[in-house]
Formats: sequence, structure tokens, C-alpha cells
Amino acid sequence: MTSTRRTLRWRGRILLVALLGLVGCSLDLENPNAPTEEAVFTSLEGIVAAAVGMQSEYASDMDDFLVPPALVTDEWSTQSRALISYYSMVTGENFDQAWGTVEAPWAAAYRTIKTANNLIAAVPTFELGAGFETGMISLARLFKAMAFGSLITIYEQVPIDVSVDAPALAPRRAVLDTVFAELEAARAALANVTDDAMSEFYRRVVPSGFDLRNTVDAMLARYYLVDGQYDNAIDAAGRVDLGVLSVFSYPPPTRNPVENLAYQALYVAALESWALQAEANDARVSYWVDDGAVPFPGNPDSLLLPLRKYSTANEPFPVYLPDEMRLIQAEAYTWLGQFPEARTLVNAVRTQSGSPLDEPVANLPAIPDANLDSEAELLAQIAYERRYELYMQGLRWEDTRRFGTSITTTPTFQWLPIPLQECDANPGEPCA
Amino acid sequence: MHMRCSLWAAALLFAAFGLCPAQPAAAQDQPYVIQGVVLDAQSQQPLAEVTVALSGTARGVQTDAQGQYSLLAPVPPGTYQLNFTLLGRKRATQTVQLGAQRAVEFPAVTMELTAVALDEIVVTGVAAPAERRVLGNTIETVRGEEISGAAGVSAVDQALQGKVTGALVSENSGQPGGGVTIRLRGTNSILGGAEPLYVVDGVFVDNSSEALVSLSGNAGRGDQAITNRMADIDPADIERIEVLKGAAAAALYGSRANNGVIQIFTRRGRVGTPEIRFLTEFRANTPPKKYDRMMDPRATNADVIWGGADSVLATVERFDVQDQIWRTGYSSINRLSVAGGTDVAQYYLAGSYGYEQGILEANTYKRLSFRANVTSQLSDRVEVSARAGYIKSEADYVIEGEQANGGVLTSIVFGPTSWDANFDEDLGRHPYNPILGSNPLDVLENWDTPEKVSRFQGSIELKAEPFRNVTVRYLAGLDDYRQESKLLRPPGSVSASDGGLVQNPVRFSRLFNNDVSLSHLGQATPSLGFTTTLGFRYTDDRSEVIRATASDLPPEQTLVGGATQSASQSVFEFRTVDWFLEERVAISDRLYLTGGVNLNASSAFGPDERWQLFPRASVSYLLGETDFWQNALGGTISSMRLRGAFGQTGGQPPGLYSRFENYFDIAYGGLAGLVPSNTAGNPNLKPERQTEFEFGLDAGLFSDRANLEFTYYNKKTTDLVLAVPAPPSLGFQSQFQNIGELSNRGWEAALNTVNISSSSVSWRMRLQLAANRSKVQKLVTSADTLISGYLNAVVEGQPIGVYYGGIYARDASGNIVYDAASLPVRARDTLPDGSTPFARRIIGDPNPDLIASLGNELDVGRHITISFLFEGRFGNDVANFTRRITEYFGSDQIVEREVNGDTIPRTFVLNPNGRINVYEEYIEDGTFVKLRELAVQFRFDQPWIRRIGAQSMTLRLAGRNLLTFTGYRGLDPETNMFSASTVARSVDFATTPLPRSFAMSLGLNF
Repeated sequence: MTSTRRTLRWRGRILLVALLGLVGCSLDLENPNAPTEEAVFTSLEGIVAAAVGMQSEYASDMDDFLVPPALVTDEWSTQSRALISYYSMVTGENFDQAWGTVEAPWAAAYRTIKTANNLIAAVPTFELGAGFETGMISLARLFKAMAFGSLITIYEQVPIDVSVDAPALAPRRAVLDTVFAELEAARAALANVTDDAMSEFYRRVVPSGFDLRNTVDAMLARYYLVDGQYDNAIDAAGRVDLGVLSVFSYPPPTRNPVENLAYQALYVAALESWALQAEANDARVSYWVDDGAVPFPGNPDSLLLPLRKYSTANEPFPVYLPDEMRLIQAEAYTWLGQFPEARTLVNAVRTQSGSPLDEPVANLPAIPDANLDSEAELLAQIAYERRYELYMQGLRWEDTRRFGTSITTTPTFQWLPIPLQECDANPGEPCA
Repeated sequence: MHMRCSLWAAALLFAAFGLCPAQPAAAQDQPYVIQGVVLDAQSQQPLAEVTVALSGTARGVQTDAQGQYSLLAPVPPGTYQLNFTLLGRKRATQTVQLGAQRAVEFPAVTMELTAVALDEIVVTGVAAPAERRVLGNTIETVRGEEISGAAGVSAVDQALQGKVTGALVSENSGQPGGGVTIRLRGTNSILGGAEPLYVVDGVFVDNSSEALVSLSGNAGRGDQAITNRMADIDPADIERIEVLKGAAAAALYGSRANNGVIQIFTRRGRVGTPEIRFLTEFRANTPPKKYDRMMDPRATNADVIWGGADSVLATVERFDVQDQIWRTGYSSINRLSVAGGTDVAQYYLAGSYGYEQGILEANTYKRLSFRANVTSQLSDRVEVSARAGYIKSEADYVIEGEQANGGVLTSIVFGPTSWDANFDEDLGRHPYNPILGSNPLDVLENWDTPEKVSRFQGSIELKAEPFRNVTVRYLAGLDDYRQESKLLRPPGSVSASDGGLVQNPVRFSRLFNNDVSLSHLGQATPSLGFTTTLGFRYTDDRSEVIRATASDLPPEQTLVGGATQSASQSVFEFRTVDWFLEERVAISDRLYLTGGVNLNASSAFGPDERWQLFPRASVSYLLGETDFWQNALGGTISSMRLRGAFGQTGGQPPGLYSRFENYFDIAYGGLAGLVPSNTAGNPNLKPERQTEFEFGLDAGLFSDRANLEFTYYNKKTTDLVLAVPAPPSLGFQSQFQNIGELSNRGWEAALNTVNISSSSVSWRMRLQLAANRSKVQKLVTSADTLISGYLNAVVEGQPIGVYYGGIYARDASGNIVYDAASLPVRARDTLPDGSTPFARRIIGDPNPDLIASLGNELDVGRHITISFLFEGRFGNDVANFTRRITEYFGSDQIVEREVNGDTIPRTFVLNPNGRINVYEEYIEDGTFVKLRELAVQFRFDQPWIRRIGAQSMTLRLAGRNLLTFTGYRGLDPETNMFSASTVARSVDFATTPLPRSFAMSLGLNF
């Protein structure tokens, strides 16, 4: 009897101890440090944060899209500290498909595309209200288009559909069509909502300085020109308000990536020859570089000047510069044979003597009509203006493809190769 | 959800079943009480800690210091065998008649020394305890005296050096308070951890070595902690340690046991009068060696380059501040313990306080430790134990390794001898190091890098015997600690514009485990026995780091504050569930078969791969007990056992959340953003799986005066987690996949002998030899070379961690090629495309070919015990980065050759041929033999001792690492800058050498 009671008493206590161990026994633990993709795209806060993250990453990876165009053309060269992968873009020699510089633009663009695709799919599943939803989707479409646009100016062919395990390469034509489709869809949607209706979107998602509507039109203009759709380019450029800037900003602790590359890593600097080849008194030279500095030796054999623009950590970087729109129109008119319109626009860029915006101004005399009344003269002049107006904006490599003999540089590479990791890891064998 | 609840229901039912017999155990008559004494056969001295047990029952007691025991036996009358076992002694078996007399006074029993240990009971941690003879796998046991008696140690794992065959126990830094890594039968992972699982009294304990602040290693290649957290157990509290070296032994531990398991058991009280022990120890730690500095007054190029001299060969003043950095560190440790108990409750209570000074100025370690272990027999069939240990430690570390900011030895290594580091009155501060690094004197005086730990480890265990031969065990264990680190760098420390820095991270760690097991001992026929164990375990770990940092400090600021502040937090949670079943079959007490499975689930894996099965099997055959053997060979080879075992275990992935597509937070212009990880989640990730086979024999020679144990093992770890490149077009760089393979095979041999056993002298010896060969079998692609740290590489077909680096160009006869300026040329490769990059080759291997130890214990008369232990490693290379830098920057004595016109310039400053990246000459043979331990102990139990109230007194003189035999040119071939790193091993770069310690202790037993 005593023994039975004792056993029962102990059994009770043991059960109690065992129950204490019951606290939380699921093996399906979430990561308390980081939400999962599923969690991000199934909550309103998640998609808002993903949209912010997408812009942040694109802004901080901006230099990846500038480095190849600036190094394979005549904009930058490398400082002695630069890695051989940078140096080889200048010389065109000893190039290795496995290098990080080959992969960086590719990887950065596809990370943006991945998040943009996720947003385009997820946003309509929320009841956001028309303005908020339009803002979110248009932003995603714009960034997706900018990513594909940057890709197609650096690589000859790139995959479009990345929803599959083995993305296949698509021709340039299809990629440009994707860019136009996304941008036109964004433009059409934005036309139906007012800024007032999008105020919550702006407040929660878009950092100050970035102008969504103007950027959509500016990108349309840029890529219609690339594709030779001149009327569309003229129209789109005409819609851009030249009185405002649209920039990526780098508030602390973020850092302007060009400043980081040129001043922290000490990898790149301006070619002195770029400054020397400018017209006398072209005020844009000293906007971009410190042409009063003593030139220092670069690698390979060259003389370099320090950058002036983007020499401090938190300087914003323009998504596009307003005068790119005038030069797009000028070029389109030239190709269409409308030389007077083109001439007016070129001279408008040349004679600009001041601006309330942070943009380069040439402060040069107008070119007489007689010296600017043929396609060859106009193209050469536009190429010149683009060289000094749009310095290190990642555009000059693509310019060499349009201007032919009218441009003064021959790039060391026509395209970057497909990154080796894509060749190796993509089961679709894109390089075979 | 459903799974979890059914699991728990089952566990509870299981627990209840064990405690709720259908028929309550019949009330017993009053139990027998058997009392007696056990003595040494030669000296007739009492033997303590002898286990006395009645055969056929699980119940046993141990003898006290007077050799006395009192065994409670609740059995029916009859004839029984009384077994006396003690490690190192031949088992004694006596027949006892239990009749009407309930109190049985048993005559004195004597025990002889033996080299054979087959009768030793090993706890095996998971299943029922077993005699060693039953086990087909090796389980190595280290007695508590070998741990607490190890000369000059402050950490348990440190005390294991040279005592476990096949264990590579390395001290990575000579700073007190830990820093020990253990590799059992090689390294078994590449990206995962390589340290064994530690289990203290059944409680899973944390042995992390997470670097909270930059104290060692390299800020760019991953900071390393100087410590590991096994420092938090007082070695004096250890009763025994069992080491499970591979999957064959550790299979029941499931997916945490790929690196083996170290089971630690703390002391328990014994029935008898309270035994009070007081111990006080005083220790002096001295540096084994100092750097040989360039002290020739003639200036070298190195002096000219930094501006310390106007021209080469000009006379300069030389300074060596080593005398202000090294010191003889003194330590004192005081311990008090009380152990005792009655028939129904036994206790062990202990407290200790130790204060240690390291061999570097400002380096100290303090540890306060308490332990209370209480066991109570609530009834004849129910025993409950509570064990609790609490420690509080405070360390002041000295930064080392390649930590240019604050590394003291680092700054000595970088600093030229023509530079005076002493405080400069004119500057009003310590001058800045003109080359690289900090001012070592400034760091010692003004920087602060303390670490405080407070830790609780405890368990409640309940054992019940609801039926005869059925044991139910329940254990709940908790290991909970807080670790506060700090790094204070005052403003102006590294440059005039340096605003200073305070980092103040706190780590909280909590491990909980909950075990239930049921064991049944069955005897089908007299010659066929079964032991069945069914068990369940649940573990729940959580760790959290909260980090507060400030820079740009106002003057005198020592806490986080000032102009720039930041904070961060991270949390890791991890749970496992195990079910295990083991069956042992004993046939004729000669052949033993064991089979078991562990069904394990871990939260680190996705639902599809979560449940994993780990089987094991073993066989043990006592060939020596056959008549054939005894007749044919018994005269020479008195016993012979053959054994073999197979088992599988698992390893956890490098990250606990690798199965998810994780998004990380990012701030952008005042908005909160999330960005996807570069690493794709893998929901199909599963444990790294190790399969081990081992075969061996135990042979007793010359009437068991000598015992030879030999084991061959072959381990293969498959499904190794590696980062596999992903197509960047999918937005990822890599994905962790189970793809790699690694093998470790080798042999272990141990020879135990009783060289002399007479009434006045006994001499026991143990020789251990082990050789392991690791081989990387498969990587993501066969051309992969994964580099860890500086040079340690993972290359297919090679041992893990080989050194891989630049070499000299050599001509056909193997001589170094010199250029026109008589400078050695660095080798280049010519690739098919015509390019000629610098060549890199495998230039060394940090893995030893052989590890060996020789331990001796000599009792001279009744009062003197002499013991010594040699440990050696053979054929292991060490990367001497310290020498590379001292030669490069001209602070090594060897630079004297340069001023004497040596034609081969040593100083790299003179040598432009990329020689700084030629590593072959800095890979040195790290073979060493150390006199690890030496102790002479005097034991007094004369009447005068009793007059002061004590039973006995011991006086002990001991030394650790007193002698080192090595051709290695650095301070110590044993340290490693990359501490606990899995792959980056044996890199000497401004790491603190292991001290030479002299200890004197006085113990009193009351």
C-alpha cells in the first residue's frame, strides 16, 4: 500500500517534469534573423521592404554597369592598385571569363530582375488601392527594364525568362522588346493615377530624389534610340521634364559606389587624354574631373586625373541627366534627316551657361549652321557632346555601336563574354 | 504540428509506462546490508573508488578513502556473486551467501594491478551501462585523477592531452582560459565544425568558440576566439571522461556526432563519513622562449626604409621591449570539497577559486566555480539525482594573431628594433608603430579586452527500477550562460585621427535536453542474455548575440557612447528529436553482439529530409576465454578479444537556416528594405553522413601484466555540405548542397604495462600511438581548391588542410634559380593561352603522420608517487608566418647576416621578385616531443597528520611543458592563429606560446 502510493506520487511528479520539457517542440523553426522569400511576398510590409531593397541594391551596384563601358572606351583607366581584371578591360589582353568584373553586371542586374518579377507577381494579390498598386508595379517594371537595358548594352545575348531552372539566352531584339513592354506598361499605368493617389507609395517606398514618371520616359527615350525607333525616342524624350533630376541617393551608411571605387579602392581614375581632347573652355571637363591636378601615372602606361564628380561618399548619382534627352532628340532627328531640329538641340546643350540643377553645363559657343548641316557633322558633334555631357554614365560603349566612324574611340571589347559561372552552373549550357 | 504532438504523447506514455507497472513491485523485506573493505594486494593499503556490485543487479556502490563500502541489497535470500571493479585493477569476484542475517560483514578483499581493462564499466551515455568487454567499438576512458591531477592545467580538455589514443588535442594559444581544439580520428567536415560534442552528466553543453570581438585570427579572414567554452568546468570536479571517437561508437547520438563525443561525468558522493578535501596550488608560468631580435647596431635596409636610419650600416640604437611584455605569471588555485552520504542520500559539494596570470603582461584569468551533486534513493527502486554547477569567470585577454589593431605580439613582430616603443614625453603618447600594428606597450597599458562568463549547468535525473531488471531513466539538462566581451581602443591609439572604439557584445546561450530511456536486462538461458534500450531525446538550443558598438569616443569614455553608435542582434534556434533502440546479446559470456538505430530529426533540415536513420552494429568475441586458446597460448597471451563495429552518424550544416530563401534587412534613405540572400535556400539539405568501420583486438600478455589494444578504423563522410555555384541569372551566387566526400582512416595502438608490482614499488606505463590519414575524396568539381585562412587548402585527393602557395623556380637538379641580381626567382606556370601566372603548389601538410604519448606512474613505497607524460607529434608541418614577417621587416636576428654581407639577402625589403608570396621556405617541420606532465607527489598519513585533524595530506610538485624537443624555429609548434577553424590549422603568427608551468600544491583530506 505504502509502495503503491509512493509510486503514484512519483509518477505524478515525473509527469510534471516531463511536461516542463514540452515547452516548444516544433521542428519547423523559422529564421528569427531574416524572413523567407515566402514571408516577404505574402505581406504588405514585406513587399514594401522588398521594393525599397530592390532600389537600394540597384543604386549600390550602379558602378557595375559603369565600369565596363568606362574602361573599354576612353573614359577611365586603372590605377596601379587595380586588379588585373580591371586592367585587362583597358588593354583587351589576358582576359578571363571567370573574373568578377565579367560577372558583376550580370549578377547585379539579375538580382534586380528577380525581385522585380516577384513584386510584379505579388503586388496584385494585395488590396493596395489603385495609386499604391500602380506605383509598386510601375517601379518594379522600371527597375526590371533598367536592369535588362544595362545588360543588353554590356552582353550580346542574355536570358529573359528566369522563372525556369535553365534560363536560355535570348537575342538582343527580344530583350529590347521586353524593355519596351515593361516601360510602356508602367507608363500607361502611371497615366491613370495622380501623384496624390500615389502619395502613400511615395512616402513608404521611394527615397527622396528619385522621380518615377520622368525616369520611365527617360529610359523609354534612351532605349528607343538604341533600337532605332527615332519617333518614339523623340516623343519619350520630349515628355521628360528637364527641370528636375532623378537620382540614386546614398545617405549614410551607404556610399556612392563610384566614390568607393575611385577613392576607397583606388582602382580607377579619369584618363587625362579625355580632358585634353575637349574643346577649349568646355566647362563640363572641370565638372567631371579635377583638371587642375597634377596628372599621375596609370596602369597601363597612361596619365590619370582624379575624378571630381562622385569624390565624396554621399553624393547622389543621376539615373539620367536632363541633357541626355536633348541629345537623344538631336540624334534621332539627325538619323531622320531633320538636321535643323537636331542642330538647335545640339546648340542648346552647348550654350547652356548655368543650371539650378546639379548637372554639367558646357558654356560653349553655338556652332554655326554651316558647320552642322550634314549627318556626318551632326553625328560627330553629338558624339562629342555625349562624351563630355554624359561622362561615366555607362553610355559610351553603346554609343560606339551607333555612331560608327563618327565616334573617336574603338572599344577594346565588343561585348563582355557570358560569365563563366553562368556557363558552368546553368544546366541549359548557355555557352555551349 | 501533428508529428510533434504525437512524439510527445509517445514520450510521455513511455515515461509513464516505466513508472506505472501493471503490478506494483512487491514490497520487499528489509534489504541486506553488505559491508567490508577493499585493499591493494601488494601494499595492503585501502583502495578508494572501487565499484562493488552484486551480480545480476544494476546497483553498485563505491569504496571510500578508507576502502570501505556498504552495499544495500534488496534481494531475496540466496547465493550471489559480489564483483569488485576498479580501473587498472583485476576484477575480484567473491561469493556471498545471503541468509537470515540482514547485516553481512564481508571479509577484506584484495585487488591486483592489471593492464587489462575489460571489466571496466563504461556508461556509453545513451544506452545502458556496459562492461567494456561487451562493446565492439572503442570507448576510451580517462580517470578523474588524470584530469584533476594533470599538472598546470585549468581546463578539462587541456588535461586530455596525451591521454586519449587517436585524439589530437591542441592548445591554440598559451593564454589561460581555454583555446583547446580536439580532433578525434581526423577532421570530418569542411564547412561545418570539427569539434566533438560534449556531454556533461548527460547534459549537452555548449563548446562554442565564437569570436565576439577581434582578439585573434584576422579581421579580414574571420576573427577567431582565443577561448572555447570547455574552460567553464573545474577539472577537479571530474570523475571520469569517456571518449567516443567515431560513428561506430557514437551512432546513438545521431546527427550531432560526426566529430565524436566526449562524455564527462562529475564526481558524486559516496556512502560514508563526510570526506573533506582542501587543495591549494601555487603555479609559476614562464614563457618557453622569446623572439630573437635583430640587435646589431648597424642599420639595414629595413631601418632605412621606415626612416629609423639615414643609410645602410649607419649606427642605430636598438630596442627590445620584450622584457616589458613577457613575464612569469603566477597563479593560485584553492579548492574545497565535501563528499559523503547515507544509505538514502549522497552528496558532493565543491567550490574553487583560481587566479591565473598569463605569460604576457595584463593577461589574467579568474574562475569561481561551485558544484553540488546530490543523489537520493527515494525507495529501493527509485533514485533521483540533481546536479548543478555554476561558474563565473573573468578574463583579461591580450590580442594576438594577425590583428594589426592591438595585437601585442603582432606589433612586436611588425615593429622594427630601431624603433623605441616606450612612452614619448614630447609626443605625450606612445609613438605609433612605424610599420604596421599598434604600439604593444600602449595596448598593454591602455586598451581593455576583458571577457566575463557566468554559466549554469545542471540536470535532474531520475532512475527507477519498476520491475526487476527494468530501468527507466529520465533526465532534463540545462546549460545556460552569458558571455560578455569587450574591446576598448582609446582615441588616438592607432593614429592621430583615430576616434577610438568600444565594442560590447553579449552572447546568451541556452541548451536544453530532455532524455527518457528504458532498459531491460534479460537472461533467456544461462548462456544467452539480452539488454534492450529504447530511448527518446529532445534538445532545444538557443543562442543570441546583442552587440553594441561606438566609435569616435569622447575622452575617458569606456562604455558604448559617443558620436557614432550602432547595435545589432542575432538569434539562433536549433532543435532535435531522437528515438533510439539498442539491443545487446551476450552469448556464453564470450560473444557479444550489439545492434542499434537512431532515428533523428533536426530543425536545420526541411521536412522532406528531416528524419534520418543512423544504424550501428558491433561484435566482441573473447577468443582468449576459449579452452583452445588457454591451452595453446594462454601462457603468453593470457587474454584475447577480437572486436569490430560499424556505425553511422550525422553532422549539422554550416548554417542553421540554409534551407530557407532568406532576406536580409538593409536601410536605404530612411526606409527599411529587404534584399534576398546571395545563397539560394536548399530545402533538401540533409546531414553530412559519416560511416565508420573499426576492427581491433585487445590482448593481455604475461598474465595480464601487459595489455595491447589495437584498432584500425576507416571513416568516410559523405553528403558533405559545400557551396555549389548557382547560375547568377537566377539571382544567386551559390547554394549549399550535400556533395562532398572526405575519408579518414588510420590505426591506434595502446600498450599498458605493469612493469613492476611489488610491495614497495609499482610502475605502470601506457604507450599510445595513432596515425590518421585524411583524404578529400570529392569536391564540387575536381579542380576546386578551397582556401581557408592563408594557405590551408581543400584539394581533391589530398589530406584536408594542406598548405598551398607560391614556390621558387628550380632548375633540373632542384636548385633555386637566381636572377642576374642574385635574387631567387619565383616560379611561374605557363598556361595553354600563353599567360604565365605565378605557380602555386602543395607545399606542406599540417596533419601529423603519427601522434604518440608515453605515460608513466610510479609508486615508491607508500608515500611517493612519480608520474610523467611525454607527448609527441611527428611529420606535421607548421606555417611560420611569424618568421616570414620578422624577416621581411628586418626585426629578426637573422637579418644580421645581411649587414655582414651575406650574398643571399634575407630581408624581403631588398627582394622584389614576389618573394613575399613564396611560402615554401616558411613551411617548417613541426615535429615535437614535449614533456607534457611531470609530478612528484608525497602522501602523508602518519599520526602527526591525524593530530592536526586530517586523515592525510599530499604535497605535490608538478610541471607542465617543461621540456620541448623540436627543430621548429618559432616559439612553439603547437599553437594556431586560426584557433578552432576546421581547415585552417597550424599557422603560427604572433600567437602566444604555451607556457612552461611549475606547480606546487598541498592537499588535505579530513
